[in-house]
Amino acid sequence: MFATALRDLRSSLAAWRLWCLLGWLEIRQRYARSTLGPFWLTISMGVIVGSIGVVYGTLFNQNMAVYLPMMGIGLVFWSLLTSIINESCVAYINSAGYIRQTATPKLLFMLQAGWRNFLIFLHNFLIVILLLAVFGSNDWSTVPLFFPGLALFILNALWIGQVAGIISARFRDLPQIISAMLQMAFYVTPILFQPSMLRDHRWIIDYNPFAHLLELVRGPLVGTPPGMLTWAVSIAMAITGWLFALALTERYLKRIPYWV
Amino acid sequence: MSVIRLHNVCVDLPVFELSGRSLKMHLARLGRRGRIGKDNDGVVVVRALDDLTLTLQEGDRVGLIGRNGAGKSTLLRVLAGIYAPTAGQIYSSGRIVPLLDISLGMDELSTGRQNLRLRGLLLGMNDTEIKRKMEEIADFTELGDHLDLPLRTYSSGMRLRLAFAVSTAVDADILLLDEVIGVGDASFMKKAEERMLDLQNRAKIVVLASHSDTVIHQMCNKALWMDRGRIREFGPMDEVATRYAAAQSTG
Repeated sequence: MFATALRDLRSSLAAWRLWCLLGWLEIRQRYARSTLGPFWLTISMGVIVGSIGVVYGTLFNQNMAVYLPMMGIGLVFWSLLTSIINESCVAYINSAGYIRQTATPKLLFMLQAGWRNFLIFLHNFLIVILLLAVFGSNDWSTVPLFFPGLALFILNALWIGQVAGIISARFRDLPQIISAMLQMAFYVTPILFQPSMLRDHRWIIDYNPFAHLLELVRGPLVGTPPGMLTWAVSIAMAITGWLFALALTERYLKRIPYWV
Repeated sequence: MSVIRLHNVCVDLPVFELSGRSLKMHLARLGRRGRIGKDNDGVVVVRALDDLTLTLQEGDRVGLIGRNGAGKSTLLRVLAGIYAPTAGQIYSSGRIVPLLDISLGMDELSTGRQNLRLRGLLLGMNDTEIKRKMEEIADFTELGDHLDLPLRTYSSGMRLRLAFAVSTAVDADILLLDEVIGVGDASFMKKAEERMLDLQNRAKIVVLASHSDTVIHQMCNKALWMDRGRIREFGPMDEVATRYAAAQSTG
């Protein structure tokens, strides 16, 4: 089952030097010769967290010590998720030059998009550390759960990216559709607001897979371990999602050079 | 044992119009599919290779000849494993290296040496292989200290030298070339030609697409005449090239 897709995945993983290098070069190209480099993103993210925190915290009449870390950490992880998905959409399209000139494995380009955004996330993670240092956590003992949570979070982002990337190579309006959908998802995912503020409408969160993914990484950091439902939903999503992504890859991998 | 076998290989290249690229149009069309006969899904298909059966063996130095659009480049891409045939089978063994665009993946901000590594990785070398060959490649470029400067400071000739030096350092069982790579000034040209010959001699099979008679005569022992996606003739270079030249002059 999925012989072609798995072979491609294996050789892509084996070529980690190449996608790590390509991903890093792209970041460097983007911030060529600016002293702060990718930290500009950290600064702008910090400013957004600060201003949203003050405005919405006041609007919603929230306790800043609770609201600010909740919102700030949420925003950092949301930006990791959306940037992986959005950039995976164009991973194959933008690598057309490579794909049409050499017979490299294809999933490499998706891993490259993931790796690049993970590096940017590591810069943004400074904000998370800062927020936790200032406001503390309810319960530091839940922090180790963050690591399996993050792994699961990224696994989910990657399969969504792979599916989006393949379909986008064929249908070029998909990146726009996806970015619009993610924008919408942002407002129904508890980033700007706390789940408890929804009162009777908690179902919005219970049925929102993104809310579960976010809880997976944010919960352990702020001291509220994610519930069984969240783990179950995330694991089930990762497994079915990857099976679906591999099936799609198996079917269309060989078409990618024709499409880009 | 290096070999490439093609069996009834066809390649259909889709040519996407604007509407063929749109998911929205595609979905909208689903409802009326079949009702309007001429309404296809907005994709025109061009048959670039039509039913090719061919075996390349060790020692073959094949010159691909034919007019523009005859399918030479597409065939190279199929041999390289870039395009999977839409019909038919391809079997190959041996390390295939396509040198179709030697400047692929050069990074402006990286130094010459870093670019050598990047290009090496793209050609499928591993780090130990790159390290082993680094000094030899660096020597060949004659770029000296420039190798430690970023690529954006290079002239186009220097870039080409760099790309050429690393691309030709690869060990290929099967080497695929699209036109011969010309590099730089006269003195370098001579060195480059020797290196190119050396590369070809190391390879067990060479396939070279070229419009230059001289090059084909110099480098190849067989010729494959492509015409509108089909094999017109495949055989000893002299015979095929003569008939090809005759066909060209009669138009």
